[in-house]
Amino acid sequence: MSGKKSPVLNRFHVIFLTQNIMFGTGILSLPQKLSSLGYSQALFPLLFGVIACLTLWPIIWINSKYENDNLFRINEKLLGKWLGKSINLLIVAVYIIFLSSVINNYTTLIQTSALPEQSMVVPLIMLLLVLVYIVNGGITSIARFCMMTFFLIFPTIFFLRWAIEKGEVTHLFPLFNFNGKEALEAMKKGYLSMLGYELIMFYYPYIANKKKAFKYTTIGIWITVLLYFITVLVSVMYFSKWQLENVEYSVLHLLKAGELPFIERIDIFVITLWVLAILATASAYLWTAKKGLESLRNKKKSSHVYILTLVVLLFEWMPLNPGFQEKFYEINYNIYYGILGWPIVLCVVHLLKKKRVRP
Amino acid sequence: MKKLGNLVRTKIRASCKETEQKESKDSNTQEKNNINNLQTEQTINEIKKNLARVNDFLFKKVVTEEGIVTVMYSNSLVEKMIMQVMVFIPLTNHANQIHQVAEEINPLDMKDVILKITSGQTLLYFHDKNVLLFIDTYSPPTRSITSSETESTVIGSQDSFTESMEANLSLIRRRIRNPMLKNENFVIGSETNTNISIVYMDTIVNNDYLDELRTRIERVDYPAFTDISLLKQLIEDNPLSPFPQYYMTVRPDTISDYLTDGRIVVLMDNSQAALVCPVTFFEMFVSVEDYYNRWTTASLLRMLRFFGFFLTITITPAYVSALTFHPEILPYELLVNLQESRSKVPFPPIFEVLFIELIIEVLREAGSRMPAKVGQTIGIVGGIVIGTAAVEAGLISNILVVLVATSALLSFLPPIFLMSNTSRFVRYIFIISAGMYGLYGQMLAFAWLIAHLLSLKSLGTPFMTPIIPRKATDLFDSVIRFPTAFLKRKMGISKSQKK
Repeated sequence: MSGKKSPVLNRFHVIFLTQNIMFGTGILSLPQKLSSLGYSQALFPLLFGVIACLTLWPIIWINSKYENDNLFRINEKLLGKWLGKSINLLIVAVYIIFLSSVINNYTTLIQTSALPEQSMVVPLIMLLLVLVYIVNGGITSIARFCMMTFFLIFPTIFFLRWAIEKGEVTHLFPLFNFNGKEALEAMKKGYLSMLGYELIMFYYPYIANKKKAFKYTTIGIWITVLLYFITVLVSVMYFSKWQLENVEYSVLHLLKAGELPFIERIDIFVITLWVLAILATASAYLWTAKKGLESLRNKKKSSHVYILTLVVLLFEWMPLNPGFQEKFYEINYNIYYGILGWPIVLCVVHLLKKKRVRP
Repeated sequence: MKKLGNLVRTKIRASCKETEQKESKDSNTQEKNNINNLQTEQTINEIKKNLARVNDFLFKKVVTEEGIVTVMYSNSLVEKMIMQVMVFIPLTNHANQIHQVAEEINPLDMKDVILKITSGQTLLYFHDKNVLLFIDTYSPPTRSITSSETESTVIGSQDSFTESMEANLSLIRRRIRNPMLKNENFVIGSETNTNISIVYMDTIVNNDYLDELRTRIERVDYPAFTDISLLKQLIEDNPLSPFPQYYMTVRPDTISDYLTDGRIVVLMDNSQAALVCPVTFFEMFVSVEDYYNRWTTASLLRMLRFFGFFLTITITPAYVSALTFHPEILPYELLVNLQESRSKVPFPPIFEVLFIELIIEVLREAGSRMPAKVGQTIGIVGGIVIGTAAVEAGLISNILVVLVATSALLSFLPPIFLMSNTSRFVRYIFIISAGMYGLYGQMLAFAWLIAHLLSLKSLGTPFMTPIIPRKATDLFDSVIRFPTAFLKRKMGISKSQKK
């Protein structure tokens, strides 16, 4: 991976890795996903942040018991070889399908807005080539890329100022105007944009200061939550209820409110800038899947990355109707939520094993 | 009478004995001298055989008090006055005192002997004693110290390095008068046997970097080193990258600045530039004049240079992508203007841009090869006439000429020539990817550029270091330069020793 020395991630690497893996296409349609709540969706990103921190705690706990192993090894150690390997295979499959859904989303978005009348075959291949280049550099290269991405994408927040001018603050109140069913639906759809912090289970062995890993990851999560909160707040102020429910990619329309003297449509510029965020997210997932494949076959080969990329490419080109593809991705998301809860199961198994060893 | 006769007889016998002893001694030394003479003749014949058909290699036999001495030297490397003053006059007057000035060398080590002669040393072979001495008389004609043409500044010292390594070392040593300024010499190049010197400050430099550099230099296996940039490409971390990873400069004040910061400098004989390692990407945009100017001017100029690099790789690709794929990005008046100027052009924007970029490259290359007298006229013809005529003929639009000229000027902002060449190359990648997929292609190329820069290393340290600053004070001297009182002069990348 990175040569003979083991790669070491310091605190900035961890903070920005966590932040960027979560921050991908999710934010662009976040107001629409939370739209079942209507105008009171403004506080939900904060709730998501709290849930993320709560689910982060068992992850860090189980990792601190097995300091030098990533989740694949922990699975094998706690559950035995065959059960562990099958769970690992499931995890790799889920991540690869999630990766292809992220890239698929993005290429559809580019096709509809920035590059109409073009087939997306070659742009997709170009994206995958750059992805493979980043992943071949190892987790430190991905972490550094995430840092650069954050500093390059962060200034787009300032484009929201025209939306604040044109919006109405009164949309924000009343605050808790929803019932439980709406809340559950919003959480199910909206939490997708928060997925990604659990990848710390796979790069935990490379962190330099493991005792403070929880603190750094929490900082990363809350940076993302803050960005989501600001975006949702402004979109609630700017849009009407009907628009929130029906407009896809509403955040891009927020940016259209901007008026600069020398560029007309900022949203095209921002969409193409988003490829950096997509690359940051996708490269982390691809790296994790590569590590999974290595631990399944107990061999390190450079061809693993290329095999996985080919699988992603196949998912994009599958000659299935889009409805089926959507359902497939939905099932995948549900299994992914299961993986979030998996560390709790592992914690229980670990405690049981310890109790068995003692007597 | 008898007693007198006896006295005289003993005295005569004693004197006979003395002359006998003297004669035997003389015959002993005579024998020794004969043997030595034979051996020296043999060695001299072997030297002559090795240096056959080297017509500027001279042998002279001088008769001195100590016997015959053969003087061997290379005429092109030694000045005639030096030969007279240092060798011939002392040899003919007090040959026995030559031993105090000259050093001895083993005449059987033929390789060393030949190397000494071809390096400009004078060899003195004393026939009677079979002793070979050498004196350092290396004095080829050198260029005088002038101001640099490529890296000139308005304020600050104007001297620059020359091709003689000793003159360069003297320029450095007069700025850093410190016994801790060490320099280690190596000989590299199997055919050219060039001298190089690694210079560093012993109390500040990081020893791991030093060992790494020494290992790399010792591993180098290349026949001929004509310039230090060849050595640079052989010891770089990522030779396949378009970006330079070490700093090259001809100014001694920059070099002494870097030395006191804890970096390592490599000098080469016959090479005007000197190499500095390790460096970061941001330092490629730093000129030493930034430290002589006040902090506001310096910050302004640095920001100009730094953003100029990113502008030069973005302007012409943005023109291509805006006109081909996303015309809705431009405001209405600008779009009308552009379409008016492009109304006669039959090509799509990408061909137009590539056409004029290539014309500018050709002008630049041809201008640097032409003799000075012809170059000025052709420059005016190429620049003004071709440009105006091409616009009027409808081959290119005049807004594009402005954009291309601006981006060409911006590409010369970085003080290092290698970096400006790199930005020209990177611009073509951006133009082609913008021509293929517009802004999306440009952003993908930008992502590739970022990923590539982040993976580069300079002597084992990451190239883009101030992104993750090792010390917070590093940020005081990056894109914006804080006032001098705030600058801690040891940057984090040099990992200097703490006192």
